[in-house]
Amino acid sequence: MGRALLYYEWHSRWNRLRARLQRLRRPKYLFGALVGGLYFYWYVFGALRGRAMPGRPPAMPALEHRAVVQSLAALVLLVVLLLMWIIPHERAALLFTEAEVAFLFPAPVARRTLIHFKLLKSQTAILFSALFMTLIGRWGGGNNWLRILGWWGLLSIINLHLLGSSFARTLLLERGISNWRRRLFVLGGVGLAAAGVFLSVRHSLPPPPDLSGARPDSIVLSALASYAGQIFQSGPLPWLLAPFRWAVAPLFAANARKLCFALGPVLGIIALHYFWVIRSNVAFEEASVELSRKLADRISAMRAGNWQAAGKPRRGKRPPFLLRPEGWPAAAIFWKNLISAGHFFTGRAWLFLVLITVIAGLNLRWHGGESTGGAALAILAVVLGLMSLLYGPAILRYDFRQDLRVADVLKLYPMPGWQVVLGEILAPAAILAAAQWALLLLALLLCPASVGGEPAPMALRIAAALSAALVLPCVDFIALLLPNAAALIFPAWVQLGKNTPRGFETMGQQLILMFGQIIVLTLSLLPAALGGAVAYLAAWWLFGKVMAVAVVSGALAATVLLAAEAALGVFLLGKVFSRFDWSESTPE
Amino acid sequence: MEFPPPPPPPSAAPCLIEVSGLTKLYGDFPAVTDLSFSVRAGEVIGLVGPNGAGKTTTLRCLSGIIPPTRGSVQICGHGMGRDPIEAKRCVAFFPDEPRLFDYLTVSQHLTFTARIYNLPHYQETARALLEELEIADKADKLPGELSRGMKQKLAIACGFLHAPRAIFFDEPLTGLDPLGIRRMKDSIVKRAAAGAAILISSHLLHLLEEVCSHVLILKDGLKIIDGTMDEVRQKFSETAAGANLEEIFFRATGENKGP
Repeated sequence: MGRALLYYEWHSRWNRLRARLQRLRRPKYLFGALVGGLYFYWYVFGALRGRAMPGRPPAMPALEHRAVVQSLAALVLLVVLLLMWIIPHERAALLFTEAEVAFLFPAPVARRTLIHFKLLKSQTAILFSALFMTLIGRWGGGNNWLRILGWWGLLSIINLHLLGSSFARTLLLERGISNWRRRLFVLGGVGLAAAGVFLSVRHSLPPPPDLSGARPDSIVLSALASYAGQIFQSGPLPWLLAPFRWAVAPLFAANARKLCFALGPVLGIIALHYFWVIRSNVAFEEASVELSRKLADRISAMRAGNWQAAGKPRRGKRPPFLLRPEGWPAAAIFWKNLISAGHFFTGRAWLFLVLITVIAGLNLRWHGGESTGGAALAILAVVLGLMSLLYGPAILRYDFRQDLRVADVLKLYPMPGWQVVLGEILAPAAILAAAQWALLLLALLLCPASVGGEPAPMALRIAAALSAALVLPCVDFIALLLPNAAALIFPAWVQLGKNTPRGFETMGQQLILMFGQIIVLTLSLLPAALGGAVAYLAAWWLFGKVMAVAVVSGALAATVLLAAEAALGVFLLGKVFSRFDWSESTPE
Repeated sequence: MEFPPPPPPPSAAPCLIEVSGLTKLYGDFPAVTDLSFSVRAGEVIGLVGPNGAGKTTTLRCLSGIIPPTRGSVQICGHGMGRDPIEAKRCVAFFPDEPRLFDYLTVSQHLTFTARIYNLPHYQETARALLEELEIADKADKLPGELSRGMKQKLAIACGFLHAPRAIFFDEPLTGLDPLGIRRMKDSIVKRAAAGAAILISSHLLHLLEEVCSHVLILKDGLKIIDGTMDEVRQKFSETAAGANLEEIFFRATGENKGP
């Protein structure tokens, strides 16, 4: 039977790979694969060869701090493993796909074989995680390729402990020990151990050094590290942490020889965990079936772009407004997408948010004057508003990116294409604009009377906020048009439908799309920027060089141009939607 | 209870679905080739054929979901290509899997549909449909909380809300319990009697035989034959007198019936 499982695993992976290679014959996948491959090569192999990456932490903690960092890592591992005994409440369940459940559970396969199969399967994820962790956290020094081994050992221990602890918890439940009793027992043990360590440290070590007023930071850090080192070496703590220090030791090995020595105890811990897991005779089938079903539903919902359905079961949501049966049909799609966005996006919720913003802003202003804190909050609000321009359209997917999975239903509606497009994009645009207006209001309330040494009278502040409030919704709308256009024009390149492709080629496709969107957005903003600048200068000269008037005039001109661009975009995309062949986008 | 097949409507009945030279290519692959037929008010046509014959593609082209590569489709006198909005106002399409919005409740689905089709007095119709389909007590439920059969009933309620005159069913009986099947057949016959033109694609030939006045057999995207049940039966009665639809299907498509 083991051979059959190996056969299944090997051929599944091989067929998946072959299907991916075969689709490279299509240019969209070939280009995607080239870009994705180049990016992966630059990022992964460059990093593995030791090229410095921007924003990386230092490659290796200083020698004198390495023992402390290792002990801290051991402590973190101890906490992680303890949490496995405290938090979960479910019975043991191994995660299988629905097909695996259907084929393997009724088959004459020993439970132990299923566990072996799962352990073997989990190795792929562990190896990828080890590679990822090596890339993002190059601390510990030494050879990157060898450090992958260190991460592999640590992650394997965590994986096996997770499985073993779930089996043990189930056994305890079967013997009448409830989850709460188990938690109390574990927490009691942890409390006793912590108290013992505390008393021992207090007894054997002097009080921590007084570092108030000490400068520079490196001296403070060094003193703290030194004291922490003494704590980790005193009393029972070194003994308590010893197995955990062994588990993380390979990550701190400076060279291949030391790594080989450090791997010995890790392999021993893995072997002990393995025997623990294999010898546990716990029924996991029933819980596994339920878990597989839930996971299948969740993955299906996520791949369909319906992240909300991927969560816990929900109840019906209050509609954002009363939808009358007569009127503009696009409003129905707007209404539907607002419901999809969740409870928060109702008129009442927004009114509440504005009220809170005004009260908080006025309160801060009256009580703190034009304090640094208020100014910092104003800057934060502006920064968040700007960031929302970039990330908002990517996060708020209550549009075609959610609805193309039911494109056949949308195509049935007696509506011109442009109305469907408008209805689809209105909901995320409205949500984004409302959030930005709330941030603008906060920034306006907290903005100090001078910015960067320049006076900023109230009229100018109001004019600037009003201008931003005018321009931002149009920019949001155009920014949202782009991913929706991508979804309609290149449906196979966007995350749609249930069979979302994966791999290098998809990563490359997403990179190409992202850069394409940035370029198109920049180009579409240029006419508005130019028009706005011309109107600003004209108003400056015409209305007696009043800055506030000039700013609002410029913003008005920019808004008109942006609105015209948005309307043109909706019209053109409507044509695309009318011609959209749903059948060609689905067989991917 | 046996359903008498609806009598063929008088030839004076208006032609509600008119298909001429319909061709749909997927790349170079012809899913449907040069298909022509018409359906009058009151007619129920059974669209049959082996897997991959082009039945679903035909229904999707007729309902305006996918554009045909060539040919024309007229629904209630409106060209699906030239005047798709007016044509779609007359259409209801029921795919084999009910297509619903996960986050709208049963009543919200109906409100949404009413606004899309501009139905000012929809409440009465909606209430009657929910009662008829026995899901009136599920008005506040989400599709995720409904069984498959109930989801299908909700899809039917939404589809019938605007009183469509051209109705397309793709495997309408899948997943329904015996009572649901009987009600569905009843509903189809009732809609046809009220003057709707109905096209049903199904592999359940004995059920089609009960409700259809006409039959259209497709194979590899090509029309093999269409006509009233009697016409089709006559065509194949030279070798098999009184053949039922299953016999006709196997003879017309040249499929091996098996042991």
